[in-house]
Amino acid sequence: MNEKTKLPRVAKGKKPKYLDDGSIDNLMAMIMTLTQEISVLRDRIDTLERMLEEKEIISTKEFDDFVPSDDLEMMRKDRRHELLERVLLPIKKELE
Amino acid sequence: MSKQKHSMQPKPSHDESVRQDFVTDLRAYLTDEIYSLITPYYEKKIEPDFIQANERKPEDKSEVKSLMLNDRGYQSWSLLQRLSQQMMFTSVIDTVERNLDTMIDDLDNHQSIGSLDIDESLDIPRYLTAYDIHQQPGGYHNENIEKDISAGAVYDISLPIYSRNAMGEENDLLAQAIIRYIDDHLKTFQPQEIMDMGCGIGNSTLPFSKKYPDSKVIGVDVALPCLRYAHARANALGVEAHFSQQNVEKTSYDPESFDLVTSTLLLHETSHDAVPKIIQECFRLLKPGGWMIHLDVYPFHKKEDDPLYDFLKDWEVINNNENFSGALRNMNMRKIIEDAGFSSETVEFTSAEAAAKYSKGYTGDFYLKLPVYLAQKPNN
Repeated sequence: MNEKTKLPRVAKGKKPKYLDDGSIDNLMAMIMTLTQEISVLRDRIDTLERMLEEKEIISTKEFDDFVPSDDLEMMRKDRRHELLERVLLPIKKELE
Repeated sequence: MSKQKHSMQPKPSHDESVRQDFVTDLRAYLTDEIYSLITPYYEKKIEPDFIQANERKPEDKSEVKSLMLNDRGYQSWSLLQRLSQQMMFTSVIDTVERNLDTMIDDLDNHQSIGSLDIDESLDIPRYLTAYDIHQQPGGYHNENIEKDISAGAVYDISLPIYSRNAMGEENDLLAQAIIRYIDDHLKTFQPQEIMDMGCGIGNSTLPFSKKYPDSKVIGVDVALPCLRYAHARANALGVEAHFSQQNVEKTSYDPESFDLVTSTLLLHETSHDAVPKIIQECFRLLKPGGWMIHLDVYPFHKKEDDPLYDFLKDWEVINNNENFSGALRNMNMRKIIEDAGFSSETVEFTSAEAAAKYSKGYTGDFYLKLPVYLAQKPNN
């Protein structure tokens, strides 16, 4: 997996400033990305709920009582790291 | 959620797909709900303030520009519009990067139809290396890995997001507009040898193979990752076309080899020096009586009497790495085309049109109308 090719995520070219000194621009980028991720989550939960409902598998109470395993906790930790990576990309770009 | 359009296209995961859907919806919102406010806002607030201070209207786009770039409302839209383009690419690159090795392995299964000629020693023109057009990270030509096709795959998935799914299942609406123009205006024209200049992933190349099944269709581009993808994509779609890595300013084909030379959205991505060379090359390549048809986004040689409209049209120049598109509008294309040898009575600047429908949750009709520049090589 470490060998996997990483593609560039920042385009070469002028970087105009829009609002104030550019830090507001970064803030806007972060907010929009967060909004995008909220939208992704909502859609994923929606998919899940629809499938469970279709298959008559899990009730709402079972969701509420769920306790994650250690492995799952690790997976979630990695996922949150990825989320931060995505959200904080504008700041990284600023420092590169 | 997006569906694979052909077997070479990388399949987004659930989250990647809905992340891309969000960008489609964001861009639609920015256009329909926010960009639409700009002209009324300008007329109600910015222009009256200017008139009060100066006792006249702003007279050209540079005056409008200095007002708008200091306006928080305009700049907020402009920033969001630029961010939406960046978010589009970031969300698509995730899918391409994750599938890249598999796609490259799969290239061998997509080689049997048509051909691909590679020139590893080709120099990429500076207008493509100085900055990444459309803010696509890495541009169209960069190779990140051996047999890279990532730039082509990124373009293929991005276009429906960019166009609100209006370019058709095979992203071919621009070529359909040219074909419709030929059907309507050059009725008896049946090209046998066709070149698509700056063909990229071949989305505007294959429609000619399908329309003229007895013809030989060649797509030429400098960007190898796009051409590799184009050839594999053509195979996945079962359409024959030949792709060749060359600079369209001067190709290796014999003079008088083609009946039709086309391009879609090529000229505004080139340069002041390149445009006359490309037109001269079209003349050289065409058989007597053959047609050159270029479709582009900006009308040439047209001075707007509306400075706001004129300013807004330059948005892509300033904000989306379309650095040459503004300058192209000021070039004397008629002179360039006539100087290349085309018959002056056949030089025409008009529009190509095509009707489409939005899809995937977007309703209504999309009507494409873009400028075309065409000319016929004199018969001997």
